[in-house]
Amino acid sequence: MSNLELLAILPQLILSLAIVLQLLLIAIKRSTLMIQAFTAISIVLAASAHYLILPAINTQSTILFYLDGFSIAISVLLLFCAFIVCLVSGRYLKVSQEVHDEYYVLLLLVTLGASLLAISNHFASVFLGLELLSIALIGMVGYLRNRRQTLEASFKYLILSATASSILLFGMAMIYAYSGNLNFHHISDSFLAANNPQMQLLFNAGSVLFIVGLAFKLSLAPFHMWTPDVYQGAPAPVSMLLATVSKTAIFAVLIKFWFFSVQYVTPIGEHQLLNVITFVAIASMLVGNLLALQQTNIKRLLAYSSIAHMGYLLIMLNVMSQQSLQLAWESGLFYLLAYCLATLLLFTFICQTSKANSEQDNDNWQHWNGLFWRAPVQAAAMMCALLSLAGIPLTAGFIGKFYIISTAVDNSAWWLLASLVIGSGIGLYYYLRIIFTLFAKADNQHLIKLNRLSHAVIVGLSITILIFGILPDVISDEVRFFALSKFG
Amino acid sequence: MILTQILIALFVGGIIAWAAENHRANMGRWISLLALLFSFGLLAEFAVENPLVFHQYVKLANSEWISAFNIYYATGIDSLSFVLIVLTLLLGVICVLVSWQEITDKVGFYYFNLMASIAGIVGVFIATDLFLFFFFWEVMLLPMTALIAIWGHENRIYAATKFFIFTQVSSLLMLIAIVALAFIHQQQTGNLSFDYFTLKQMAINPEVEFYIMLGFFIAFAVKLPSFPVHTWLPDAHTQAPTAGSVLLAGVLLKTGAYGLIRFVLEMFPQASSNFANVAVVLGVVSIIYGAKLAFAQTDFKRLVAYSSISHMGFVMLALFSFQQIAYHGAILTIVAHGLSSAALFSMAGMLYQRLHSRDLSLMGGMYSSAPRMGGMLLAFVAAAFGLPGLLNFVGEFMVLTGSFKSYPVHVVFAALGLIGSAIYGMYLFQQSFQGEAKHSITDLGKRELLICGSLLGLLICLGLFPELIFAYFPEQYVAAVNEMKISELTSTSVIGSK
Repeated sequence: MSNLELLAILPQLILSLAIVLQLLLIAIKRSTLMIQAFTAISIVLAASAHYLILPAINTQSTILFYLDGFSIAISVLLLFCAFIVCLVSGRYLKVSQEVHDEYYVLLLLVTLGASLLAISNHFASVFLGLELLSIALIGMVGYLRNRRQTLEASFKYLILSATASSILLFGMAMIYAYSGNLNFHHISDSFLAANNPQMQLLFNAGSVLFIVGLAFKLSLAPFHMWTPDVYQGAPAPVSMLLATVSKTAIFAVLIKFWFFSVQYVTPIGEHQLLNVITFVAIASMLVGNLLALQQTNIKRLLAYSSIAHMGYLLIMLNVMSQQSLQLAWESGLFYLLAYCLATLLLFTFICQTSKANSEQDNDNWQHWNGLFWRAPVQAAAMMCALLSLAGIPLTAGFIGKFYIISTAVDNSAWWLLASLVIGSGIGLYYYLRIIFTLFAKADNQHLIKLNRLSHAVIVGLSITILIFGILPDVISDEVRFFALSKFG
Repeated sequence: MILTQILIALFVGGIIAWAAENHRANMGRWISLLALLFSFGLLAEFAVENPLVFHQYVKLANSEWISAFNIYYATGIDSLSFVLIVLTLLLGVICVLVSWQEITDKVGFYYFNLMASIAGIVGVFIATDLFLFFFFWEVMLLPMTALIAIWGHENRIYAATKFFIFTQVSSLLMLIAIVALAFIHQQQTGNLSFDYFTLKQMAINPEVEFYIMLGFFIAFAVKLPSFPVHTWLPDAHTQAPTAGSVLLAGVLLKTGAYGLIRFVLEMFPQASSNFANVAVVLGVVSIIYGAKLAFAQTDFKRLVAYSSISHMGFVMLALFSFQQIAYHGAILTIVAHGLSSAALFSMAGMLYQRLHSRDLSLMGGMYSSAPRMGGMLLAFVAAAFGLPGLLNFVGEFMVLTGSFKSYPVHVVFAALGLIGSAIYGMYLFQQSFQGEAKHSITDLGKRELLICGSLLGLLICLGLFPELIFAYFPEQYVAAVNEMKISELTSTSVIGSK
């Protein structure tokens, strides 16, 4: 390995080293505060290492990893989300004499798995990253062993996640049988070399299975059944991790796989796989939004709305020409960013008003009644996040939706657009209901006062959402150039 | 720059009003009033200094906003925008005055929302970049929804949700149409553009043009509102606080009419003339349907709300008949309806303050105790059914006369709406102020007299001298617009097909 190749995976190396040090640290002294600080610092270090690795952009590091602008952007986003999760976990867990060192080890393992996914370019590394991510997450979902729902959630996630992994693996095997190589790049090459219908069938079947496996993890309809239960059962910071880090990383894999192999393997006009994606996207948008209507539990509601959001995101895969690729890329990145910011904000609030030792989290949004009049800043921040999820102007979510609509119009995806409009219309209803609850006449005292740190997190996130919504140009051309530098 | 200054003055005024209210009670309303008057002053000064600028649609500011999509912060003004901005600011003052004592709860935040909504509406009238237009279009809705949802009446959450979903979904269609236009421009020239003037010049495939026009049309028809997408309006109007209703009826509906003129008619003359038959029928149906349902209401505000649907139907009829006189009539109707419905809703608010009810069946015979109020109501009702001498008469008369040339049969039916409006108008007045005295109420106070008097004064003054408005519409401009439309018309559809 050359120096450049080593440099390219520097953030992942830092994370791995930090995990080992964490274990040592636990062996020496058990202190929750110390390990939390250590975790936060190592995430920050890994994130700042991205600045150092800029010279190594577009480098193949071993056959497993490829560092391109897109990976860097996703990876920074992942680390940012993990950092926020780490910050808000402290207060949530601090309720008993128990020491929670293991939680942070698992957190760092999830982060490492996710960031491996962001740079992986090979089925083997995808699988490794995915399993690292999922297995650590299963542990975290079941972390609060005294809660009844937690156990159920963790079992559900364990079984379905294992099923999804095996389907995924089967898909990979089929694609391998077709291309003879596990590298993403290689698939299209081998397609050009050998082209008979039977092989194509094998490839298509494999791709469908691979996409199904990812769809399970992304909780796209019709593979979404586990999502609400797991979101509800898991401790709030873990739901937050699941909703942001895990989804972003897996979506990044889907994007890469799609654009590297599928899109350019089949000639335009014969996109059978595109029909699958279109169906899944439309189903997700409608199912997610319709089921969210009934929820009174905010974690379940966010679970269903995340199904819908992943459906909106799938629209960016519908690319018909090389020219619109750049736009699709950009849309995906921006939408993921907007989605993560809003989700982080809402979950931060839920985490900070809940405690790990209570039977369940403070997740009934009816309890937020009249919050605006008692804690205007918090309520305004949450409103910002909700409006962003609904895609209303002044927020980042609107620009994200604008990007997605642009991509769809550019590629004449009228059916997807129609379901986007219908889905957003339904979505507005439940987001508005929550917002109106915030403004209702105050009548109860379910509010726990936030400490200064979580207040700062909430305000900071909402300001970021507003800035990206009003002045998206703050993402300067240089950053965009790097984030979108040609992959592959 | 001047337009941006007005926007900033309004918005910052709202924020200061919010902040000041927390320190000293009753500061909010004074600050809002001052901000509105200040913006009025800015606009007036600008108009006096540049009288020629209104003769055509000109860009006044153009700075880059979102470079990834080539979106600019671009504002411009012409006579149409100018008249509507004046109307907005004027009704803004009325809104502050009617809220003077009505709002006692969360006052600071109330004035912030009011001012933010007014700023958004002004923004809609001045944007010349389509993305910016859409942006303001949405910005004006958020605070409006808050006004309904927080300070509204018993059913406010339902009304606010309905209002928001109707307007959002329809405007999403408009957004798609806007994006489609921009991408067609990209296909033709190689770069994206959201600029109004650039896109207007563009030649589009007629079929595509029709669908894009439809996207815009639906958004504006919802806002106008036209049958069959009007159902949000009665709820929103009834549940909103008085100032909310005034703002909704007085200006927010006008953004729909403005959009029809500025975007649908001017950008897609061909597609709109093909669509004219449908639009005119929708207008006529709205006129008759609105009048019919208005008569069936027992709720004061609901009655006025349905009458709005009827009156805005005239605007739709006029705009799609492509006649110069009708076009003038539409603009007069817009202003007239803005003033008269604002007045009627203010009266409704004043009655509600005294009786705590909007139910007409509980009212009656109040003339003896409140003659001044009764007189004012009679005058506004008369304005609404088009008594000569008041502005509404001139507007509707011109609409009917103008449209008769292209749509004689439709106009005959539309004219029935006038009879309907006389019936529901008299019903309204008779139920509330005549007959057996059921209540004795206090008469109008000084502030209320100021509100009613100024609106009535304007209605009479403009009714007698409608040229005061047309003075801002220089001949050559209107003639040019209509020449284009008439030439389109004769060459293609409506007249040609007869």
